Amino acid sequence: MARRTEARPSESTVLPTGSPALVWGVVAALLVALQAGALGTFVFGLLADAVAVIPAVGPLEAVVVWLVGALNGLQSAASEVPTLLSREVIPNAGYWNGQQWVGTFLGLEPALAWAARVVAVYAYSFVVAGWAVLGYRLYRREYRTANWTPRDDMIDRFRSHGWGLFGLVVVFMFVVMVVFAPALGPTTVDKNMRNSYSNEIQYYDEEAGAVETIVVGEANLGSQSTGDQSRVLPMQYDDFGRFHPFGTLPTGRDLFTFIAAGSRISLIIGLLAVGLSATLATSLGLISAYYKGKVDLGSVLVSDAVMAMPQLLLLIMLTAVLSDTWVADVYSGGFVLALIFAFTAWTYMWRSLRGPALQVSEREWVDAARSFGQRPLTVMRRHMLPYITGYLLIYGSMTLGGAIISIAGLSYLGLGVAPPTPEWGRAIKLGQQYVNTGSWHISLIPGVLITLVVTGFNALGDGIRDAIDPRSDAADQESAGRGGGA
Amino acid sequence: MSIPVVWVGTTMTWAIIFLGPIDPASRLLSEGQVRNAASYEAAQSQLGLDTPPLQHYLDWMTNLITFDLGQTWLLYQGSSVNALILDFLPRTLWLGFWSVLVAVLVGVPLGFYAGMRSNTVADYVASMGGIVWRAMPNFWLAIMLLAVLSNSEAILFGFDWQEWWVPLDALSGSPDMSRIGTVDGFLAATKKVLPAAFVLGSASMGNEMRIGRTAVLEVKNEDYVDLAKAKGVSDRALVWKHILRNALVPLVPIITSEAFLLIGGSVLVETVFGINGIGYLFYQAAIQGDLPLVGTLMYVFILMIVGINLLQDLLYTVIDPRVGLEGE
Repeated sequence: MARRTEARPSESTVLPTGSPALVWGVVAALLVALQAGALGTFVFGLLADAVAVIPAVGPLEAVVVWLVGALNGLQSAASEVPTLLSREVIPNAGYWNGQQWVGTFLGLEPALAWAARVVAVYAYSFVVAGWAVLGYRLYRREYRTANWTPRDDMIDRFRSHGWGLFGLVVVFMFVVMVVFAPALGPTTVDKNMRNSYSNEIQYYDEEAGAVETIVVGEANLGSQSTGDQSRVLPMQYDDFGRFHPFGTLPTGRDLFTFIAAGSRISLIIGLLAVGLSATLATSLGLISAYYKGKVDLGSVLVSDAVMAMPQLLLLIMLTAVLSDTWVADVYSGGFVLALIFAFTAWTYMWRSLRGPALQVSEREWVDAARSFGQRPLTVMRRHMLPYITGYLLIYGSMTLGGAIISIAGLSYLGLGVAPPTPEWGRAIKLGQQYVNTGSWHISLIPGVLITLVVTGFNALGDGIRDAIDPRSDAADQESAGRGGGA
Repeated sequence: MSIPVVWVGTTMTWAIIFLGPIDPASRLLSEGQVRNAASYEAAQSQLGLDTPPLQHYLDWMTNLITFDLGQTWLLYQGSSVNALILDFLPRTLWLGFWSVLVAVLVGVPLGFYAGMRSNTVADYVASMGGIVWRAMPNFWLAIMLLAVLSNSEAILFGFDWQEWWVPLDALSGSPDMSRIGTVDGFLAATKKVLPAAFVLGSASMGNEMRIGRTAVLEVKNEDYVDLAKAKGVSDRALVWKHILRNALVPLVPIITSEAFLLIGGSVLVETVFGINGIGYLFYQAAIQGDLPLVGTLMYVFILMIVGINLLQDLLYTVIDPRVGLEGE
């Protein structure tokens, strides 16, 4: 690897202001301010959901209820703050009044208005990402004391790894979809699915030649995709002037909105599950590498036993067993799914971490730290953990892909995420009987998206692996990205 | 090592089912029967839930070890679990056998082909295909494959899968295992599971391709290949005798370790294709609440996986004499 050997430039090379950090910070603040309302809504909503997870027992109950109430209040307050990339600023839901489109962005037709919003969302996201990269490079060039660190090599290697970058872009676009899910859909889950009978839309009735009003639920009945006769294909309008980028579901609901909302639950469950199993795998990996002997043997035994039960079957069994408990209701069953997945997936991750952890534990500095009188916990945290975090990233990324497949597989079977909440696997199930007919899009599109996202996560994992350890070939770890055969 | 693994795995299953938040007895009964104290207690004592947990655990373990699996409660009510497993297992084994074979027959040659022509367009296409193939959800691939096959005449230029060679009565469904001895029956049963096996093997196919490619690349640069080349061994003999045979070694454990994926994936694939296999039975037992049956089946799965692991270790010592049984 080429190392930077030239002398550090003594003065700023970016801007004549002398304080590039200030300029960077101001622009960053501006970028965030454009979306402050949405950010607040998301953060407070997530916190409220997280607090609601706490079992309310005895005196805690009042506190929890109060906290949830307060957080929900904050969430609705934040949703009042105007944001640039919202359906209020760039609306796509409007109607044709005989001469022109009413209520859409700049009077464009709904498809173009929706496309404008999507383009704006992705443009904004890529600008933010680019700005973050710029900030990192600024820091590296101008502010960091060290001229070179080993991590620089990894990042440089990753930057020249085309496959890994492809994965990063796919994952980034997926994450943007998750974050902006409510703004991306042509309509909202609430209007189109949950409360479709308490929302009205207006449309232009060709025969009457006048604008009519109809309840969304009624309109959905007229936009069903159930075979050759009645169908709304991708990129088409239905009879009520509503644009459907991915077509409609057999119930007449909008597939794109369904998928965007489903991406959110998939990623949140996946992240939670991978986070939990990574924590479990790391702590166990460190402990067994540090103490070796019987502790190690015990961990091998337990993980072998968990691995001997096929992962998907274990998921099914645990979902069935836990279906009537209170955890099963948290986040439409997503939370318990994440817990179960973490319980089954840590073994594979631990298996992959065990080797590197054992290697690190043999190093001199661990011995030195031990003879120096440092406590075991400190040795593990300070002198062993930093060397295996990279491996965590690799397997985390691949396990996340597997988790998304598994969750989709479970909801295809009707387990896991409870029905009214959108989930990709359920879209596949809903469209299964229409695959042979004209309404082929319902099953096809979610499947293609899952494939793309999982490929992205695997590619990202490959890229990180090559960046961290270019000599390794972790071809034996393929099953991590498979979600137990779903 | 394998006996403790079976023991710990089975114990965990027992704990999840009988110490978990669900009362297996009440899941077995309908609403009305739960409220009827007499029938509830009958169910409890039948399951042995009125005995102390330790006693119950010992009884349960003894029954499993001696394969005294009792009777079912909900599914196929009252039939013996042993008979049920013997009825369902062959179909899954048949499916698993073909999916391993399909994966090996397609994945390994493709991987070797890609490895022999590394960094060419063919290599990139094959590698890319393998990667995307691996990321596809099995159940979705199954649905799509069924859609293509049922319309095969329109999509595949007049090729009609259902009538081709051996006519099938229906595209999906269980293979007929009773006539497997005859040539006709064998072909029909094979053709019936072939699409399912193809889907189930897809994940392994991608893996085997990738590892086959790496193995060929590694072997190609070994000294003995250079020596053989210098000796004037013909290209064909070089490839077949020196490269491919040695590249096969790292593939063996991969093929057997795919068993995890195959057995896990069998639930979804069997559900989509409507095959009455053991994975389908497990799924039905789980959603209908026949938890004792779930536990028993889990025990069978654990035995299968541990058995395959043992087989893998044995195979490894046969193929690669450098590996001993004692030294890990």
